[in-house]
Amino acid sequence: MTSQTWNRFWGSTFVKAPLQNGVGRYVQQLQRITFKFCKTHGGSRGMRDFIEKDLIEFARMNPGVVVYLKPRRHRSSCLKAEYLNGGEEYISAHKQSSEEIKKWVEYLRTQSGYSVERLRKYQHTDRPSIQGPWTPWMHRDQCINIAEYPQEELSCAVKREKTATQELLEKSKIFVGVNNSS
Amino acid sequence: MSVARRVQQWATFGRMWYLYDARWQNPFHSADKIKLYLAGRNKPIYHPLSDCGDHVVVINSLDIALPGMEWEKRILRKAVYNKLDKNLLRRGRMARLHIFPYDKVPDNILENVSAQMRQLRPVPIRLDQIPEEEVVNFPKVYDWPKDHVIS
Repeated sequence: MTSQTWNRFWGSTFVKAPLQNGVGRYVQQLQRITFKFCKTHGGSRGMRDFIEKDLIEFARMNPGVVVYLKPRRHRSSCLKAEYLNGGEEYISAHKQSSEEIKKWVEYLRTQSGYSVERLRKYQHTDRPSIQGPWTPWMHRDQCINIAEYPQEELSCAVKREKTATQELLEKSKIFVGVNNSS
Repeated sequence: MSVARRVQQWATFGRMWYLYDARWQNPFHSADKIKLYLAGRNKPIYHPLSDCGDHVVVINSLDIALPGMEWEKRILRKAVYNKLDKNLLRRGRMARLHIFPYDKVPDNILENVSAQMRQLRPVPIRLDQIPEEEVVNFPKVYDWPKDHVIS
């Protein structure tokens, strides 16, 4: 599968949390969870075990989550989770043991409700730079803001070494100075 | 996005107008320098997908110093055009290059100019441009022989 196909169907996001959830306080994002199962079929056996052993404990530990049980005849078992931001997630629990279902329930409980997508970056910051982003005027001489253009000093090439003419002039000055003193 | 962040964005992506004096400059070496500014490659924020090129106003393009017999072949605009990346952005980048033969620039362009690019090589001074007094007083290194004929 090419990345183009992947992006078209699965999309991509950045790392994010709803309303900075988890910074200072945590709001449970999972609102409703529905356990759908059959009372007789073997495919729902793990689900029935989970309901007998662990469901009461789960509901007691998470008072903010509404738990529904939906028995239905001769259908395979599944989990349906609904989140605060309107997101939904469906997980098939067909022929799964109660331990596996326990892990899936824990997975649904800790989700944010955003769909699971490829992350374009694995880190996020609200303040990418302490110094502030670069601007064209950063580290520039401030005289360019009020200068009248064109200007000779700003335009001329950087002089690296003296020309022969300049050296000759300087030496002649020294020579004249020595002659005058003597 | 808050007001401060928005203004920060404008500042970061603000277009500069650079003035370049082409007097006595090699157009091919100048083109190497100018193309960086037209494409925005002189900026640390450069990205090929972001439109961050600057304007370059070239003056005195009539006084460029062409090496050898290049006079017969090429001119500054074409030199820059050849040096720019060969892609769909080339025409747009060329549109940000303004070339003037003398140092006269229209006011509506000159008022935009916000910085000046340095020339690549020092401008030589001709003997007839040096004041008479300075030429006469220049230190003499040696005398011509009496019988030497200066034709």
